[in-house]
Amino acid sequence: MTRHEHVRNLVLLGLVALGLAFLPHGLSLYLRSFTLFTMMYVVLALSWNIISGFTGYTSFGHVAFYGIGAYACAILVADYRWHWLPTLGVAAGLAALVGVALGYPVLRLKGPYFAIAMLGAAEGTRVVATVWDRLTHGGLGISLPSAETSLETYYAMLVLMVVTIVIAYVIGHSRIGVRLNAIREDEIAAEALGINATRYKLAAFTLSAVFPAVAGGIQAYKVLYIDPPSVFFVQITIAMALMSMLGGKGTVIGPIVGAVLLYTAQEFTWVNFPTAHLIAYGLFIILVARFMPRGLMGFAIDRGWARKGMVH
Amino acid sequence: MERSEIRSLYLLAAFLVCAYAVPFLVGAWVGNVRLDQRWLGNLATVVVSGVMQGGVYAMFAVGLTLIFGVMRIINAAHGEMVMMGAYLSWVSFFYLGVDPLLAMVLTLPIAFLFGVAVQKVLLNAVVGQPELTGLLITFGLGLVMIYTAELIFTTDFRTIPYAPGTVHVTSAIAVGQNRLISFVMAVVISIGVYLFLKLNRLGKAIRATALNAEVAMVCGIDVQRIYVITTGLAAALAVAGGALVSIQFGFNPETGVLYTLQAFAIIILGGRGDYVGALIGGLMLAVLENLVSLMVPNGTAMVELAAYGLMIFVLLIRPGGLMGVKEG
Amino acid sequence: MGSQGDGALTDLGGDAIVLEARNLRKAFGGVRAVDGCSFAIPRGKISGLIGPNGSGKTTTFNLLTGVTTPDGGDVIYRGENLAGHKPYEIFRRGITRTFQITRIFREMTVLENMLSVIAVDVPNRVARARADELIGLVNLTHLRAEYGGRLSYGQQKLLEFARALMTDPDLILLDEPAAGVNRTLLQHLLDHIHRLQASGKTIVIVEHDMNVIMNHCERIFVMDYGVKIAEGPPAEIRSDERVIEAYFGRRRSAEHS
Repeated sequence: MTRHEHVRNLVLLGLVALGLAFLPHGLSLYLRSFTLFTMMYVVLALSWNIISGFTGYTSFGHVAFYGIGAYACAILVADYRWHWLPTLGVAAGLAALVGVALGYPVLRLKGPYFAIAMLGAAEGTRVVATVWDRLTHGGLGISLPSAETSLETYYAMLVLMVVTIVIAYVIGHSRIGVRLNAIREDEIAAEALGINATRYKLAAFTLSAVFPAVAGGIQAYKVLYIDPPSVFFVQITIAMALMSMLGGKGTVIGPIVGAVLLYTAQEFTWVNFPTAHLIAYGLFIILVARFMPRGLMGFAIDRGWARKGMVH
Repeated sequence: MERSEIRSLYLLAAFLVCAYAVPFLVGAWVGNVRLDQRWLGNLATVVVSGVMQGGVYAMFAVGLTLIFGVMRIINAAHGEMVMMGAYLSWVSFFYLGVDPLLAMVLTLPIAFLFGVAVQKVLLNAVVGQPELTGLLITFGLGLVMIYTAELIFTTDFRTIPYAPGTVHVTSAIAVGQNRLISFVMAVVISIGVYLFLKLNRLGKAIRATALNAEVAMVCGIDVQRIYVITTGLAAALAVAGGALVSIQFGFNPETGVLYTLQAFAIIILGGRGDYVGALIGGLMLAVLENLVSLMVPNGTAMVELAAYGLMIFVLLIRPGGLMGVKEG
Repeated sequence: MGSQGDGALTDLGGDAIVLEARNLRKAFGGVRAVDGCSFAIPRGKISGLIGPNGSGKTTTFNLLTGVTTPDGGDVIYRGENLAGHKPYEIFRRGITRTFQITRIFREMTVLENMLSVIAVDVPNRVARARADELIGLVNLTHLRAEYGGRLSYGQQKLLEFARALMTDPDLILLDEPAAGVNRTLLQHLLDHIHRLQASGKTIVIVEHDMNVIMNHCERIFVMDYGVKIAEGPPAEIRSDERVIEAYFGRRRSAEHS
């Protein structure tokens, strides 16, 4: 992209951020919540995309980081009386550590095995959270004391989303992104071209772990109650993957669009069809995976509405 | 064998010994281990029970490994097919008055056709795509199956009272009669499937395709047909597994999820498209689970953890799964 | 091996050596693909590596470039033993390669293929300029924004060739550059290769096409059963008995040029 286009995109992002900043004052509490969660899913989808869209290592257990962040914040706020903002920093740091520790062995696995291993890791973390009740209160969950107006978490999530978008954008449109894509395309050829695949994968994986953790922390403080099944919910990972796929894996706009569309659709069907909505959701997943594996961006590129490639 | 192969085998053996020792160590530390005759009898029962359970696991897990081997698709709805089998046998028992095991004569062909339909409508378009697409499409299918079942049957747990009472395998070891019958049925079916894969021309074609689909095509094997038959077979085996499970445990629409995860673990342990591997994996998993539930406090949650732990560590030591198939 | 006054290694012909392989060994299962192979690549010349199918040529390339780890033996380059190093480490020391079946990135554009190469400490503008220069060199400028997978086979080969030149490497290993390529394109490639050699680079080609090897290589190494069986200029190799026997003797499928 030319410099001109980069500036244009930055301005666009700024306008959207500004709009979202003024929005909550005119909205009902429900809509405010809805917007917050939409922004959260943008963060989640973009993060998942950094590891799974770019490098092709499909993480089927990314919710683990979300849950770790949620628990880190909840424990510190509820049991140790921290103010919630610094707990987000702890969540980020913890997620980075776990990302490196887990990523190093697990990224050696190929394709389907990596996916299953990550699923195992996420489920394993859930079980640990249930069992280690001295720390996590186990199945009882943690209730957080409420001291905020509903605006604090909104703005925190807005800031997180902007940061995530900027970082994903910078990576995606730079040579770093090109190299991550190269790893996905053909890891052996990539290494023969000088790319230290292990280091790049690990960096992408760790980075992709940090944002969901912070999001989980903000969410914990918003919802004021967490327990293992709710924060280590496998459907959250599915949502991340589906949103990225719907919008277009491996692009930057794709996950954003996918997150907004899917979350809105989900809320709409849940509100209007309370019993059948999960069946509709399942059907929707089937249709997207079957007919649009390259997502909306892929569709747009085929039609010539968008350019091929990320670096021009 | 290459040097690194041998090294990883040793490492694996060492790890497995440790893995099986852990429940004992934890149990000893917590005080659950007693070295008297009665406790040892308990232990033996648990191990035998585990072996029997493993036989049933292996039977439905092999379907998953077949689908993975032949089409390289991870069927995230496999547990739901097992659940479907459980409900089918429940319906035949309570509404048709038919013995749930006898009902398999009817339900297995239905399951086969279901598998065929799933393959033609859903899976065929997804073969050859990255694993995410297959995972998502089967996950969607699983969701539809779970919540349709919920609509029809509600989330209440169902059980089938069948062959109650225990059988004494030896004087010290007693297992439930229903478990023994399940095991025998599983063995019969498994032997049948094993022989089919080994001796029958179609079965051999399936194994060939699982090893290398391109070469199979060149050898004149109609790979399309193999895909369809494999999925049908996998579905039938899953439903059979469900029937056998239904006479032992309670179930509801969501119990399939756990079975899917266990089947995943068995794929990892057992490699792709290999019956013996699935059997070994199933046995390993079931025995470990039973040992854990006997000796480790908080047994049920830890059982899940045991499955994941086993799976992850085996993967880390041998990235191609237990049977050592090198990927890529 | 002798040594010139300035300490650079030379081989028996008095040429400076850029890379020396000593006693390389690699076995897969029970098959010894490379079984004690040694040779020295002369600097600044175009060398050929030939041999019947299964003689271990591509495996040797893989050993030299780190794609496969040798069971034994050394790879000496600029005084360093590169055996067992990872591919990206070897790449960064100035050795690049192409593959027998092209391994371009199919879902990335031509330009992105070029930019994926690690060129340390080079700012974006410089990298992009170099990429465009090389794309122009192989006449792919009009396809700059097209997906690699949409290129014709010949164009993909050219792309892979250009990609291997991004970092201005000293030693370039080409694995069957002529395979599946028409005469015109092949001539283009050979012109490029000669130009590279004229600018001081060293090139090694693995090939089955005897015309290419005999007419364009100054030195030829012949492998059979995992070892080097002959070495020398084309004229000598053409009439070398061991080579003839390796190709046409015993029960072998004849090579066609």
